[in-house]
Amino acid sequence: MTLYHFGNCVALLMPYYFTYKYSGLSEYGAFWKCVQAGCIYIFTQLCKMLVLATFFYSDNSSNSGEFNFFAEILRCSVDMADLLGFALILSRIPGKGHSKLITAGLGWATAEVILSRGIMLWVGARGTEFSWIYIQKCLESNVLLVQHLTTATLIWLFTRHDLNKALKPLVSILLAVTIFKGVWLEGLLHILSIGPWSAIAFKALVAGIIGFCSLNIYAGLAQQIGI
Amino acid sequence: MLNEVDSFADIFRGGLPYCLLVALPILILVSPSMASDFQVMSMTKFDVNGEQFGSRSSAISLEAKSLYTWSTGRHCVLARLLDISVNDLNKIRQKAGGLIIMLPKDVTALNDEVKEHVLMLEQQMLSQAIPVPVYFAPFNPKLEEILKDVTHTAIDNNVENKTAFGQMLLLVSANGYHVTVDGQNSAANKNSKIPVIQGEFVPNQFVAKHMDNSGDGNSLPLILITASLKTFGIINDYPLNADSAVTMALVEIFSKLHSMISMSPKYRLGFLLSDSGLLLNFQGSKKWLEIDDNSVLQNVEFVLCLDTITQSLGGNQPNVLYMHVSKPPKEKTSISNFFKILKSVSAQHGGNLTVEGVHKKINLADSKLSWEHERFSMKRFPAFTLSSVKNPSSPLRTTMFKDDESQIVTQLITSAKIIAESLACYMYKIDPQSDVFDGHVAINENNILPYLGLRSILQNNDIKDGFEKYLKNVKIVYDKPDAREPDFMFYNGVDAKLNVYRVKPAIFDLFLTFVITIYLSTIYFAIQFFPRFYDLVSAKLNLSMRSSNGNAQNAMKRK
Repeated sequence: MTLYHFGNCVALLMPYYFTYKYSGLSEYGAFWKCVQAGCIYIFTQLCKMLVLATFFYSDNSSNSGEFNFFAEILRCSVDMADLLGFALILSRIPGKGHSKLITAGLGWATAEVILSRGIMLWVGARGTEFSWIYIQKCLESNVLLVQHLTTATLIWLFTRHDLNKALKPLVSILLAVTIFKGVWLEGLLHILSIGPWSAIAFKALVAGIIGFCSLNIYAGLAQQIGI
Repeated sequence: MLNEVDSFADIFRGGLPYCLLVALPILILVSPSMASDFQVMSMTKFDVNGEQFGSRSSAISLEAKSLYTWSTGRHCVLARLLDISVNDLNKIRQKAGGLIIMLPKDVTALNDEVKEHVLMLEQQMLSQAIPVPVYFAPFNPKLEEILKDVTHTAIDNNVENKTAFGQMLLLVSANGYHVTVDGQNSAANKNSKIPVIQGEFVPNQFVAKHMDNSGDGNSLPLILITASLKTFGIINDYPLNADSAVTMALVEIFSKLHSMISMSPKYRLGFLLSDSGLLLNFQGSKKWLEIDDNSVLQNVEFVLCLDTITQSLGGNQPNVLYMHVSKPPKEKTSISNFFKILKSVSAQHGGNLTVEGVHKKINLADSKLSWEHERFSMKRFPAFTLSSVKNPSSPLRTTMFKDDESQIVTQLITSAKIIAESLACYMYKIDPQSDVFDGHVAINENNILPYLGLRSILQNNDIKDGFEKYLKNVKIVYDKPDAREPDFMFYNGVDAKLNVYRVKPAIFDLFLTFVITIYLSTIYFAIQFFPRFYDLVSAKLNLSMRSSNGNAQNAMKRK
């Protein structure tokens, strides 16, 4: 609509800054670490794109509006690479305690927002035509932040050897649920034909539930090893 | 905090500024293109005799409003052609910022009353200068929807009995439309010119030789048939050019007659076709008459002008052919003779078509002439106009809208037949009851149809080729406006693109900022309280773990 509307959309991305500022990352001077995490995100995405372009048959043009279950599963299986990317961030970037996870999740999510939403917001939200989609996308980014933080936590838990054996399958299941969210969540939303606003609320709910489970597991382990 | 500043500064120390130098212009250049765009036609503009007609300025970037809600010059009125009244038009002309008119889907399907209204409005628009930009959009379902929305919101907002809160909500949630038309400011076309083409049948050699004995070949009396090709109406497009089609058909069929030696007439038959109709005040004929050494104009028997020989949009047009003259013809003059022949021929061949004479004096005080024959009458040539309209100010003479073509063609064939038969009777001095154009010289739709799509000489060579094929002494004269005091002037007009953007009022963005602020403060407090929440979770876990550990220890003890 106008630059002001663009400003409104960007303001909706403020939680990223809040997370950085009030989670204690700023006190550790973790800014560069976040940037590094973002770089690893870019690297992972490039690898993913290469794989997708090389090995996967794309027929998006033929059924653009429809939800293709099989294609989505294939696409999500490539998203496994995201997990490897997270693992790489966690192993490469030094950090202490909670801040390590937040660095990884925040860096990843920020890079994603800038790269996948930035151009769209700049071009679209600044234009004369008004559309709710920009506000929706920005709200969705907030949900994605929670989700990426959760994923970072889950990966960290997955790589820990001192995790309670009984909790290991639960962590794996949660990881699988996160990765294949593109299939089951989008499919469900498609079947129920939920409007864009309720879809965001629904996604936020799912991210919240997964996040809460992960938090419980993490808190247990954190207490055990004393961080 | 200092640390943070350091890391921010680090970014700018590297190559980032250079990247930004490249990236920023690109980002600024990238312009959004999500709007719905439509092709629109700008209204014509032209000057005649120093008077301006049509709409002047062209670019629009304004808020779209309906016919009922616009109030200031910052609004662009978006309306259907059928909804606009002459009153509305006058108001818009004076105060609005722009006017975008959606044409009806199918003009022929309208009933007569509405058709008449459309014609009236069209004439009203053409007869004056409109200072605001006016555009015409062809019917488009998407635009129809926008139009409906604009009108609908207006009606909703007009409901007065609402609470203050409801009104405020309406104000915030109101959908607005912003329209932009990327029209260029039309510059006067310095190369404006009106082509006039003339040609005549020369009696074939046998007769010419015969005539040589008695004197000059040019001394044969001339019957001149004139028509004007209308190249524009309310928009820059060709309206129905029935007159030129009939003229060309007459050229074609008379050439067949002349090819027979036995049929050489005692008259020269001349044709004149100019690109200037009523709207251009018959400038073409004026120019042609002013040519100094116009040898053609010697010994003129009469001049027959064709104007609106058939009505392009008339539901129940009267089957009358009017013969317009500037002064009542005296007995035994060429015009009265021809009128008599025309009457008897139409009684013979015209079915239910009748011929009536109309007399109207030339108003010399009026800057615009009503009929083309007045140009000739003023030069003392016997002249008259054949037309299907009685009133010279009929909107049918300049309309862009046309009926079904097949209906028009049948009417045209009848008219062409009557005119051709009368001319033949007059020229060969034969009995009006006879049927000259029959058999292989019969007039059918093949004579008319190809000429309905005639284009100006400036655009293609169809007319020129046709004239050169059948006629002799073909000459093209161009009427160019005088540099200092132009008689007429055309303007460069390009079809523009209309963009309609859905917009929200500025207050909506303020409201949105307010909501976002609330949301952000919620998030802020959520993050502030997160450590406490975390402690709560771990304390609960601790408790349960301790109890489970305790249970385990108890069990061990029991063992």
